[in-house]
Amino acid sequence: MKKIHIVGIIVIAVAIGVIFYSLGNNASYANFIEAMANPDTEYHVVGKLNKEFPVVYDPKINADECIFRMSDINGLEKTVVLHKSVPQDFQKSEQIVVIGKMKGNDFHANDILMKCPSKYNDGKPQIK
Amino acid sequence: MENTTAYIGEHLWIGNIGNGFVILSLVSAILSTVAYYFFAKDYSLNSEWKKFARFSFSLHSLSVLGIASTLFFLLFNHYYEFSYVWQHSNNSMPLEYIMSCFWEGQEGSFLLWTFWNVVLGNILRKTIDGKWEAPAMAVFSLVQVFLASMLLGVYVFDYKFGTNPFTLLRENPDFANLPFIQNPNYLSKLDGRGLNPLLMNYWMTIHPPILFLGFSSTLPPFAFAVAGLWKKDFNTWQKPALTWTFFCIMILGTGILMGGAWAYEALSFGGFWAWDPVENSSLVPWLIIVAAGHVMIINKNKGGSLFMTHLLAISSFLLVLYSTFLTRSGILGTSSVHAFTDLGMQGQLVIYVLTFIFLCVSFLIHDKLIKVSYILISLLVFYLSSIYGYKTLLLLLWISSSIILIIYSYIKFFPKEVDEENLYSREFWMFIGSLLFLLSAIVITYFTSIPVLNKLFNLEKAPLKISDYNRWLTPFVILAMCFIGFTQFLKYKKTDQKTFYKQLLIPLFFSILFGSVSSIPLYFLHDYPVASNSEKWNLISYSLLLTTGIFSVLANLQYFLSVIKGKIKHAGASIAHIGFSLIIIGALISTSKKQTISQNTSTKNVASLGENFNAQKSLLLTKGDTLQMGNYFVTYKGKERKGIDVFFNMDYLTKDEKGSFKKVFELHPMVQDNPRMGQASNPDTKHFLEKDIYTHITYADLSDNRDIKKDAYKEPTNFIGHVNDTIFAENAIILIESITTNLTEQQYSKADSLLIVTAVLKATDIKGKVYRAYPKYILKNNTVMPDQFELNELGLKFIFWKINPEEGSIEIQLSEKVSNTKEFVVLEAYEFPHINILWLGSLTMIIGTIIAILERRRVNKLSKI
Repeated sequence: MKKIHIVGIIVIAVAIGVIFYSLGNNASYANFIEAMANPDTEYHVVGKLNKEFPVVYDPKINADECIFRMSDINGLEKTVVLHKSVPQDFQKSEQIVVIGKMKGNDFHANDILMKCPSKYNDGKPQIK
Repeated sequence: MENTTAYIGEHLWIGNIGNGFVILSLVSAILSTVAYYFFAKDYSLNSEWKKFARFSFSLHSLSVLGIASTLFFLLFNHYYEFSYVWQHSNNSMPLEYIMSCFWEGQEGSFLLWTFWNVVLGNILRKTIDGKWEAPAMAVFSLVQVFLASMLLGVYVFDYKFGTNPFTLLRENPDFANLPFIQNPNYLSKLDGRGLNPLLMNYWMTIHPPILFLGFSSTLPPFAFAVAGLWKKDFNTWQKPALTWTFFCIMILGTGILMGGAWAYEALSFGGFWAWDPVENSSLVPWLIIVAAGHVMIINKNKGGSLFMTHLLAISSFLLVLYSTFLTRSGILGTSSVHAFTDLGMQGQLVIYVLTFIFLCVSFLIHDKLIKVSYILISLLVFYLSSIYGYKTLLLLLWISSSIILIIYSYIKFFPKEVDEENLYSREFWMFIGSLLFLLSAIVITYFTSIPVLNKLFNLEKAPLKISDYNRWLTPFVILAMCFIGFTQFLKYKKTDQKTFYKQLLIPLFFSILFGSVSSIPLYFLHDYPVASNSEKWNLISYSLLLTTGIFSVLANLQYFLSVIKGKIKHAGASIAHIGFSLIIIGALISTSKKQTISQNTSTKNVASLGENFNAQKSLLLTKGDTLQMGNYFVTYKGKERKGIDVFFNMDYLTKDEKGSFKKVFELHPMVQDNPRMGQASNPDTKHFLEKDIYTHITYADLSDNRDIKKDAYKEPTNFIGHVNDTIFAENAIILIESITTNLTEQQYSKADSLLIVTAVLKATDIKGKVYRAYPKYILKNNTVMPDQFELNELGLKFIFWKINPEEGSIEIQLSEKVSNTKEFVVLEAYEFPHINILWLGSLTMIIGTIIAILERRRVNKLSKI
C-alpha cells in the first residue's frame, strides 16, 4: 500500500468520525416536554412569544435578564428566562428559537433567534 | 378576470425590450451550447460551427448586457410600474445606491452573476488556446443556459421557472387586489419602497460585485476540467486554467474577507466571522479552489495528481451552485441572518445542482455501456421520484451510485503513479495539504448543511454555534500552518534531508520560543486548574495554533529571504502564505483574547447554569454617569437623531494619577429606527494600532422626550411593606426605618380621636447621601385625611394612605418626578486585541496572489513565443 492510500483512508476516517461524533453530540431542536425530561441538556426550542403577557426587562436591576412567556409548537407555555438583554423589536417577532435548558419550571436561555415577518419583503404599494 | 383599466404613464415597451433580451439571452445561450458542442466534437474541420458558436456567444453577451442596461435604466428613471424598481429603489436615492439596489434583490444578483460570467467568458474565449475553446466554451454556455432561465419567470405546467426582473408591479401576485390597481393614474402617486436602509452603505456598493465576480471565477477552472474529462485529455488544460484558478483564489478571497470586514464594522454580533451559512458557502468553494490550485502546481512540476485536479476544480463550481441553493431556496429558515427569502425556486435549484453533478459523472465514465446505464438509472430515479415520492431514498441511491462510478472511473481510466511517493518531496506534502483543505471543506459543508439533512432525514439537529465551529476547525488549521511552513523547503521528487532541517532550524526555534513564552504562563494562572475541560482544550489548541502560525510566517519569510533571495516576482506564494498565516494569527488573538469590557453590574450569578451562561456583558449606563470599562471610563453624553439614525454619544476617558479624567476618544454607536426592518443596531469602533474598542447598543429608548414637562410627577406606584423593607426609586433606595404613632392602641379605640401614624423613611441616593421623609397617616373621626410628604431634593412624593392591621403592613404611594428618570442605554463593549494583524494578513495575501497571477501570465506568454 502506498503512503498516499494510507492518507486517503485517514481522511475518510476523519470525515466519517466527525459526522458521527457530531450527530451524537450536537444540540437538537425540541419542545418543552423533551427539554423538561432532560433538564441538563441544551436544546433549541422553537415557538412563539406570548404577547399577552408583559416581557419583563428592567435593566436597572439586571441588564442581562429578560423574562417572558413562550409557547412551543405544541402550544405548551413556559416562562423563559433569557440571560441577555431584550432583543430589538421583540414584540414584532413571528417565531422565536430559544437556546438553553430547563431548570425547575423555567427555561433558561443563553441565546435567542428571532424571525420577523418576511424581513426583506414587507411593505405594500400605497397611493399617497 | 380581465383587467381593462387603461393605466396612465406606464412604460411597458421598455419592459418588453427587457423581456426580449431575457428570451434572446436564453435562446442564444442554447444555440451557443449546441454549436460549441458540435464544434468540439469535430474540432478541426467544422469552421462553420465555430463561426456560429462564436456568433451565438457574442449575441448572448450582448443580450445579457441588454438586460442589465434595461434594468439599470428602469431603476435610474424610477419606473415604479416595474415590481423590481418599486421594491428596491425610491425617489430620494442617490446614484451610488441605484447601483446597490440593482443587486439587492434575487433577480438582480442572478443578473450580476450572469454578467460576470459573460465578461469572463469573453476574456476566456479571446485568450484560450485553440484546442480548448470549443469544449470549455460549451460548458460555459451551458451554465449560461441555466442562469438565463433563472430570469425567465414563466410557468410551465404550473411550475414557475425563474423570477423575472421585469414583472409589473400590478401583476406581482404579492400585491394582487390592492386598491392601487384600480387607479388608472396610480403611477403619479407612487414612490418606491427604497433600498433597505441597513444596506445603504459603501460596502453594499462594492462587496456584492466582488463576491459575485469571485463566484463567477470558479467557472473557468470548472469549464476547463469538464472539457478535459470530455476530451479525455487530462493534462494540457491545466496550464491555461492555472492562471484562472489563481485569479479565483484572489478575487473570491477578497470578496470573503471584505464580507468579514463589513460584518465587523456594521453588524452587532461582535466579530468578523460568525460561521453563518452564507459566509460558509462562499468559504467552502474558496478552500476547494485553493486546493485545486495547489494540485495543479504539482501537475505542472511533476504530474501525477490528475484525478484530484479534476475533482477539485469541478467541486468548487458545484459548491457555488450548492451554496446558491442553500442561500436562495429558503431552506436555511431561521439558521441564517442574511439568506434570501424563498421565491419558489427550491425545486429548480435542486435540479440544477443535480444536473451538473450528473453531467460531470457521465463525462467521467469512458465506458459506453456503463455511461448509458448511468444515464438510464438517473432518468429512472428522476422519473420514480417525481411520480412516487421516496425522494430521500432515491436521492441517496443516486448519489451513492454516482460516487461508486466516480471511484470506478478513477481506478479504471486515470493514469496513476507507479512509484512510491517520497516523504521528502514537495508534491507529497502539497498533496496532503490540499487533502486537508478538501477535508475541512467537507466538514464545514456538512455542518452548514444540517438544515438540509434535517429536511431529508426528518432530523431535528440544531445548527452549530460559532464556538463549536472554531473548536472543530482548529486542528485542521494547526496542521495547515505546519504544512504551509515547511513544504516550500522541500524540492520536487527528492530533497536532501540535512539541508531541509537546517533551513527550518531558525523558524522552528523562534516560533517555539515565542509560542511557549506567550502561552506557557497561561497554564500557571490561578484559574487554569478550575477551568472546564473544553476551556483547557481550547487553551492547548490555541497555543499550538499560535506556535504553528508563527512558524509558518517565519518559515515563509526565511524562504523568501534565503531561497528566492527577496525576488518579488517569484515570491507570490511566500507572500500569500505569510498573509494567510497572519490572517489565522490575527483571528486567533483577536478572538481568543477578545475582552468583554462592559461588565454587568448586577450581583446575580448565573454561572451555575453552565458554560454558556457565564457571559454577563450588558452594562447599563445612565446619562451623565461615568462607569469603568476595561482601562477606560465611559460617559454617556446623550443621543442625537439624524433622520432615522439615532446616535449615542459616548466619551471614553482615562484617569491620571491625580484622579482627574481626560477624554481619549468618542464613539457614536447608532441604532437605526428602520421603518421596514425595525430597530437595527450599528456598532462603532475605535481603531488603535494594537487593538480595537468596539461598542454597540443593545437596548435604548429611541423616542425624543423633549416635550415632556420635567417637573411633573409620574403616575404613582403603590408599595405594601413592613418596617425594614426597602423601596426602589429611580434615584434612591428607601428604607422604612420605623413607624410611630401619637396614640397607643387603647387610646385609639375611643371615638373622635385624632390618630397620626408616621412612617420614618430613610432615602439614600446614588451618591450615598441620606435624606429622611415622614409621610403621615392621619385618621380623624374614622376618616383618612389626605396628606403627602414631598422630598424635594430627590423629587419624590410619598402618600401614606393605608394600614393593614391584620398583616401589620402599611401601604405607601410613591410618585417620582419625570426628571428623575434619567435617560440610559444598555450596551456591550469589547476590546479586540491585535485585530490589525488580521487585516494586514488579508492585504498581504491578496497582494501575494496578485503577484502569482502576474508571474503566471508572464511565464505563459514567454512559453508561447
